[in-house]
Amino acid sequence: MNRQPDADELNFHLDSYLAGKKIESGAKLHPLLTIATELRQLPHPEFKDRLKADLLEETSTITQNRGIFEQVTGAAAFAEILPNLGANDFRIFPADHRSFIVSFLSHTALIVIIASGIWAGRGTVLKSSPANPEVTYLPSTGGGGSGDHSPIQATRGTPPKMTDQQFTPPTIVVRRSDPMLSVRPTVLGPPDVKLPQSDRIGDLISSNVVIPSNGSGSGGAAGSGMETGLGDGTGLGVGPGSRFGTGGGVFRPGSGVSAPRAIYNPEPEYSEEARRVKHQGLVILSVIVDQQGRARDIHVARSLGMGLDEKAIEAVRKWKFSPGTKDGIPVAVQVNVEVSFRLY
Amino acid sequence: MKTVEREDDDRLIKAAQSEPVRFAELYEQNFHRVYAFIARRVGSRDQAQDLTAEVFHQALASIGSFRWQGAPFISWLYGIAANVLSAHWQKFGRNPAQLCEDWDLGGSDEIERRAILAQLVESLMPDQRLVIVRRFIEQRTIREVATELGRSEGAVKQLQLRALENLRDKMGRKI
Repeated sequence: MNRQPDADELNFHLDSYLAGKKIESGAKLHPLLTIATELRQLPHPEFKDRLKADLLEETSTITQNRGIFEQVTGAAAFAEILPNLGANDFRIFPADHRSFIVSFLSHTALIVIIASGIWAGRGTVLKSSPANPEVTYLPSTGGGGSGDHSPIQATRGTPPKMTDQQFTPPTIVVRRSDPMLSVRPTVLGPPDVKLPQSDRIGDLISSNVVIPSNGSGSGGAAGSGMETGLGDGTGLGVGPGSRFGTGGGVFRPGSGVSAPRAIYNPEPEYSEEARRVKHQGLVILSVIVDQQGRARDIHVARSLGMGLDEKAIEAVRKWKFSPGTKDGIPVAVQVNVEVSFRLY
Repeated sequence: MKTVEREDDDRLIKAAQSEPVRFAELYEQNFHRVYAFIARRVGSRDQAQDLTAEVFHQALASIGSFRWQGAPFISWLYGIAANVLSAHWQKFGRNPAQLCEDWDLGGSDEIERRAILAQLVESLMPDQRLVIVRRFIEQRTIREVATELGRSEGAVKQLQLRALENLRDKMGRKI
């Protein structure tokens, strides 16, 4: 029997219905359309399977926990586990209740210590990146500059190499030509940073390419800035900015750079979505802690999903740090921050 | 019949309490009712799914402390679902008392009907089931389903007709 006309007619009405139009059908099709209406309210089968899988995963955790902490009730269980206290027919050693009290107190104390450790470790942990043997430079702050009050802009050239310690500042016009100990000029910054090099030390961005000059700054090196760097900054590095590095730098802990320490670290909130399915784990954030002890340039290094990454960032943004230091001076330091999400 | 159901509930609950993995059987038995209970009261499928998941997570967490008090197991799940809905509604300023009114207005019959329909869909032939899911749950067109199945649109329409007729007949027998 050819049922195609019935199938077509039903589909015509269903299309109207699915498009939100009023359906006018005969009595024959009406029950089918009613069922179609109800079918739209059903859950997706994948959801049912997924939820079941989640629950089964959760049951495995419950089973493991039960294995560790068996529930003990009743005199029989008490006697089985503590025969010298609970059993009536124990005769090899006399029961001494004082031993039980001492044991109970010591175990309780131990549990309290462990539990307090767990709570103390809950929430957030600040972890520095693996110590880099050398200061690591990342562009954006810091720098250096100098000069000897010359009316002429420092001569264009390239900066000397960077080192962790500066013995001789870079100069273009050497005032003393017979030093007792000859040391190559350097600027302060991460030694692995590759700067343009040439035989001619000078300011990279100067328009003076002819007249030898150390520039208008102060400090005795070259440029328009201060201290003994090179350029228009105020430090011992190169370019704009202050203190170290080139055009500003961020350090990593190690090689004389101390890691920042969190001094105010409120715990992150749990996202509703993650709480609902009891999603737990660790979010790792890459954070630059600036000289003022504030977290900036926060990026997710390891994601946990379900809104927890955002919650971790939100929390760490509120944190206050004691900044990392180099030679006692606060510097911007890049660290990894672990934010732990656990449901207790 | 009720006694058999209750004995069945009792057996499954004890199994789940001693072996949590057996909770899956309680889940299979009650999922559609709980979903229908919630779906009737919330606006979208996504919300209904989220809240249903919450109910079963809470139920699994508390199954160890469940004590038989005479009512069917599904009543306990409805209790959890009511709490979950109540908390959900409070967020949106809706009065949780509406839950009781709705229940009194014959909501339980509709829930039962939807739960049966959902179970019947699961029992359909695979190709009929696929057409039902794609057409009415995912709201795809006949053309899209035909492309997926590699069949003509006419053949898919006939599958759709047979599936709906099957559901109508089985519903008639169940209710």
